[in-house]
This record gives sequence, C-alpha cells and structure tokens, in this order.
Amino acid sequence: MIAPRLALYDVVKSFAGNTVLHSVALTVQPGEVHGLLGENGAGKSTLLNILSGVLSADAGRIEIDGTPVTIGSPRAATAAGIAMIHQELQQVPELTVAQNIFLGASLRHYAGLAVNRRAQEAEARRILSPLDPTIDVTAPIRTLRVAERQIVEIARALRARARIIAMDEPTSSLTPREFDRLVAVIERLSAQGVSVIYVSHKMDEVYRVCQSATILRDGRLMGRVVIPDVPVNTVIETMVGRELTGSTHHSHTRDRVVLETRNLTRGRAVQDATLTLREGEVLCIAGLVGSGRTELMRLIAGVDRADSGQVLVNGHPVPGDPRRRIRAGLGLLPEERKRDGIIRHRPVTSNTALPAMARFSWLGLIQRQRLRITTEALMRDVQLRPLSVDRPIGSFSGGNQQKAIIGRWLAADTRIFLFDEPTRGIDVGAKSEIYALIERLASEGRSILVVSSELPEVIRLADRVLVMRQGRIAAELGPGDISEANIARHAIPSQ
Amino acid sequence: MTDTPTLLSRIRFRDAGTLLGLVIIGVVFATLTPVFLTTPNLMNILQQSSINACIALGMTLVIISGGIDLSVGPIAALAAVLGAAMMVAGVPIPLAVLGAIAVGVACGAFNGALIAWGGLQPFIVTLGGLSLYRAFALIFTGGTPIFGIPPEFRALTNGTLLGIPNPVVIVAVLALIAWVVLNRTPLGEYFMAIGGNAEAARISGVPVTLTKMSAYMISGGLAAIAAMILIGRLGAAEPTLGTLWELDAIAAAAIGGASLSGGRGSIIGTLIGCIILGALRNGLTLMNVQAFYQLLATGIIIIVAMLIDRATSGKEG
Repeated sequence: MIAPRLALYDVVKSFAGNTVLHSVALTVQPGEVHGLLGENGAGKSTLLNILSGVLSADAGRIEIDGTPVTIGSPRAATAAGIAMIHQELQQVPELTVAQNIFLGASLRHYAGLAVNRRAQEAEARRILSPLDPTIDVTAPIRTLRVAERQIVEIARALRARARIIAMDEPTSSLTPREFDRLVAVIERLSAQGVSVIYVSHKMDEVYRVCQSATILRDGRLMGRVVIPDVPVNTVIETMVGRELTGSTHHSHTRDRVVLETRNLTRGRAVQDATLTLREGEVLCIAGLVGSGRTELMRLIAGVDRADSGQVLVNGHPVPGDPRRRIRAGLGLLPEERKRDGIIRHRPVTSNTALPAMARFSWLGLIQRQRLRITTEALMRDVQLRPLSVDRPIGSFSGGNQQKAIIGRWLAADTRIFLFDEPTRGIDVGAKSEIYALIERLASEGRSILVVSSELPEVIRLADRVLVMRQGRIAAELGPGDISEANIARHAIPSQ
Repeated sequence: MTDTPTLLSRIRFRDAGTLLGLVIIGVVFATLTPVFLTTPNLMNILQQSSINACIALGMTLVIISGGIDLSVGPIAALAAVLGAAMMVAGVPIPLAVLGAIAVGVACGAFNGALIAWGGLQPFIVTLGGLSLYRAFALIFTGGTPIFGIPPEFRALTNGTLLGIPNPVVIVAVLALIAWVVLNRTPLGEYFMAIGGNAEAARISGVPVTLTKMSAYMISGGLAAIAAMILIGRLGAAEPTLGTLWELDAIAAAAIGGASLSGGRGSIIGTLIGCIILGALRNGLTLMNVQAFYQLLATGIIIIVAMLIDRATSGKEG
C-alpha cells in the first residue's frame, strides 16, 4: 500500500492554556477529495492554519507521501506542496490575472531585472485553460466575478506545484451554476492526483464532491467517514453532538397588514417593488444573487434611498431614514454581519443598546446596570453562548453574533424583522436554532421578511414566497406552491 | 471554554500599562535629578501638561469616532485673538470667554459639516482648516500679538485652588466631563460605534452625522478653552500660538491607547499620555538636555509606546 499524500498524527494545539486541538489526525490519499467538517470553533481553522504554516502545532507529526515534514512558515507550506484557498481570496485587485498567479514568484528576463510579462501570460494561459478557458489572463482581477477569482487562486496553487489544496468554505458566495463549475474543476484536480481538503458547512456539497471526510467537534477527532456510506444525519449529529430537532411548518399569519411597499424603485437594482407583509407572517424573498433582494431589503430598512415609491408601516408612510424606520418598528439583520452588523470591539451590551439608547438612559446617562440586566435576559432568551454579555461581540461565533443581533432588535421592541441571508456562514447546529428563533418571533406576532439563497431554508421557513428576477418581483407563491422547482422556474430569466 | 478578559478589564489593563510607563519615566528622572520629585516640580509638570491635555481630550473623542482633527492649533489661535480682542475692547470677561469658546465650536462645526454631510475625509478637511483658521487669526491681527489681557482674567488662570494651579483644576473638571460623556452617555457609545463600524452603526439607528459633528464641535470648543488658559498665563494673544499642538495631542491620545483607526481609546489613558510627554520634557530640561534631544526623546517614547501596544495586544491592532 502506498503512503497517504498527507497524514497528520496526534496534532495538539493550545492557546493560553486553552486546548483547541486534542490529538487530531487526518489522512488524505493522492487525488482524494476529503471533507473537513465541524461546527464553528471545532478546530477546522486552527488545523488549516497549522497545515499552511500560519500556526505551528504544539505536538504531533505531519507526513507528506510518507516523509515527515516540518511546516514552520507559510513559505515552507508552499515548498511542501500545500496551498490554501481562503474564503476571502488573497489577491491584488488592480493586478492582472497573470500577475496574480505569479505573485511573489514572477518570471524574469534580462538577467532577472525585469518581469517577463509575456512568459507569465503564456504560462498562466496554459495552467488556466483546462480549468476555465474563458478567463482572460490580462484582465485585472477586480473585473472578475468571485467564482472566476477562485479559479485563478486554484491556478496559482497549481503554478506553485501544489499537491494538496485546502479550500475553506469555497462556495459561500457562489451561485448554483458556479458551484457546478467548481465541482468540475475539483474533479479535474483530483484526476491529476492533486488532493483536495474541502471545508464546508453544506452537507449536500460535501456529499457531492467528497469521497471521505474527517469530523471534528470541540477540537477532538470524532471520526473519519467514507462518503456516501454514512448517512447525512449521522454526520451532522456527530458534528453537532446532539440530535437535531426536526420541525413541521406552522403558520402564525394573522389578517392585519403591518408593512407595505408601493412601487419601490432604485435605479435598475429594484424596480416597482410592491409587497405586503402581515402580522406574524414569514415572507421569504427568493431569487438569484444579484436579482435585487438585498437592495430591496436595504430600501425597506431606509439604509439606501429609493428613487421613488413608498414604505408604509401600519398604514402610515414612513420617510426613508434608518432612524425613522427603526422607530416605526423595523430592524435589518444584514447579510455581511462583520461588515454591516456588529461593532466587533464593543461588548454585547453596547451592541444591543445602539437602537434603543433612550430606553437604557435616564437624564442623559446610560443606566449600565439596567442595560446589563436587560441584555443578559434577552441573550439568555436567544440562547447566546457563552452567555457573557461583557465580551466583545466579535469574539463570538457567527451564529451567536446573529443571535445577539436578534437580541438587539428585541431590545428595541422591533415588530418587523428584515433578515438578509440569516444563516450565511453559520454552522449546522446554530442554523436550526436561528430557524427556531425566527419561528418563535412569528408566533409572538412579529412579522418577518427573509431573503435567502438556500431553497431548503426558504421551504422550511416561508408562509409565502416572493421570487425576484432582474430587480422585479416576478412571482408570488402561496403555501401550496412553495417548491424548489417553482422557485427556480420563476427565478431564472427566460430567454 | 475559558473566559477571555472582558472589554472593560482589557481597557483598564491598557490604562495600567500607560501608568506603568509614567512610573518608569518618573523613577528614572527621580534618580537622575533630585529636583524632579519635589511637589513644586510635580505641580509644574501638571500645569505644563494641562494645555495639551485640554486639546487631547477633544482629540481622543474625535479619534475614537474614527476621525482626526489637525486644525486644533489654529482654532485655538483664532479663539485666542478674538477672545483677547473682545476683552481688550471691554466686553465682560465671562462673555468674552463664552464668545471665544463659541468661535472654537463654530470652527469645529464647519469641519464636522464638511466631514459628516460633505463626506470628505477628516484628514484633508482639518488640514484645510489648519491653514484656514490660522489665516483668519493672522489676517484679523495683521500678524501682531494682542496685548492688554485684563489682570482679573490673568489672575484667574494664574491662581491656585487648594495649592493646585487653576489650569490643572479646570482641565481635571473637563476630563471628568469627557470621561462621563464617553463612558456613561449615549453620545459616548455612538462615538465608539461609528469609529468601530460606521455602516453597522448607521443600520443600528445611530445618528451618524450628528455624532460626527459633535466630536469636532467638542474638539473645537476644547481648543478654545486651551487658548483661554494660555493667553491668561502669557498676558497676550499671539496669532501664531498653538503651532504643532495637534501633533502633541495625537501623540498623547495614541500613547494613552487610542486607535487611529477608530473605535477605541481612553480618557484616562490620554491624560496619562499627556503627563508622560510633560514629565519627559520637564525632566530633560532639569537635566539641561538640549531641546533637540528632547524632540528625539519624544519621538522615541511615541514609537516605543506603539511597539509595546502592538506586542501586547497581539493581532487585534
């Protein structure tokens, strides 16, 4: 039997006495696509950082093709044939595709004094053409779509003769078609004998691309499974460490209309959007990325200005300004939590207080004790873990940040929640908690608007679905009509 | 899971670090020159630091809110010459002082309006302000100092309260107010929120434009107060006063733990930072070290403080 391409044994890592990896092992065969699964905080990132030389392990061995190696720096990782495709691609937007592929390893001529652009471009084209021949190697990176940039990043890994490519959540911003292309690229890599470590939360993807997977939980190795021999639910339960509670959809919709938009328009992004939302209703907005869903949510929240059209809350028009809309009872939970949702250095209490400062102040002074007690009660209610409201919000996992933001709007007594991709980047366990919270909000008579790209999510949550296509609301699906096929049929532009 | 230190204790930890720096500098000078640790000299240090501290309080709030104010020196000069002119012209002193502060606040409002509503970058706007307000002060006075500050006013800034120089008392009260504003009022939370993440703050209902405006208005007002203290002590208002004040104030805030990318900073830290700079100059002067080397020492202190900051706060900086 040949030695595995990559093998890690008994890897231990601790930070300040806190052990985050307990004797973890990982083996990947040549050409194998291997999933690395676990909730946020399970130790996946730490393991990847050790592999790519960013961190060094406290104990343990790493072997490549049966030979022990030490990976003391990112440079050493590259030399050992390991490449990482990060979630946030590490590229220089102003440089061309070819320049990015040869970043830090440029081809020279004239005695090494000048960069040989032509040779770089030819070589880049040679590497790229089997992956995606449509990418122009002379185009600046900033003109490429995320999916194309990812392929350029893979090309860079191949240029560095990587034999092991680790991809961290590669599909978090890809459309289903782009995912299909990525699958094709991964299959080609695998056929060339390159091993792929695939980190993802999405089980359907893992089952589609991976032949095997390693499951981590709380820094411990839970097992290595062969896919698809082990059923999805077993894998998820191993990851999460508890049984997932299934749910049956139950509508809480009442008659009263709480939110109405009339002919909301902003440029070409949103055109003539008219919708109504009822008390206790969960209304999902489906559609392709770029169909105007996020833009519509931002218009409703007053964050962007509409060119024309109106937003009415409880029958009264409310001017387009975030503070007026918040006072009217709306609250936006943005898709990019880090960028638009949280003040990461500030404690949970301060993040909670922002929209409802008046409620926590007396004679112009913040009542810290009251803020703390109220926040703690709210956060217990949304099951924030760990329940320490003085910690900076940035130190919590994505799912817990989302819970804290739900708590923020509960503190402001928000009646209409605007969720943009509520579970983007959130692990499986926290996901079902967020769903349960959304359902509870609805049962309390609050109304919910959800933008989601994940069709199973839409089907699980929605009382009613609006499908957007090219900036317009293209269809409305009632309870009987909500299905993946129906949504897809209306979402895709007909030509 | 072990509990990481809370934000509160981390800031206190940072302040303790700044204080430790001050203690080290104090011990060094105390061993080198016996005069350093005498009560009159310590009072002297506080008094010499008070004007920078006054400016630095406002600078700290501006920096926390994600901005910078380069125009504080010229605002002080403009407030000084206008305030002095009013006093010389016979305007009652309280009114003249209020007038001067109003000038400072107005200059700050102008900066703030361009930044908050105009969407211009704070660095550039206040760099423009730096020339603009200086020019106003020079044009108004024709470049010559205004003499004849009333003795009643001079007595106010040269007097003492329970043995403590009045400027120190005034700045201590202002610092207390600034601390309360930053740590106990919605405005303070808003400063930290927009400095930490302006877009998230806006989505959460923070009045971003008003908050930014207030930071620059407070900074302008404090610059004017610093100017009043200075002309009271000197007995004259020079249109060229306040040159490079902005840099001392930024240095003090940074030594005290303010992050120039916004969102973080401490009033207590800034005060200690001012005293560090003051003690350094005082100690070197006592040792008869040339001014050139004082400048060198100031530069080294700032850079060392930032390096220590970087090393202790890890990747978070």
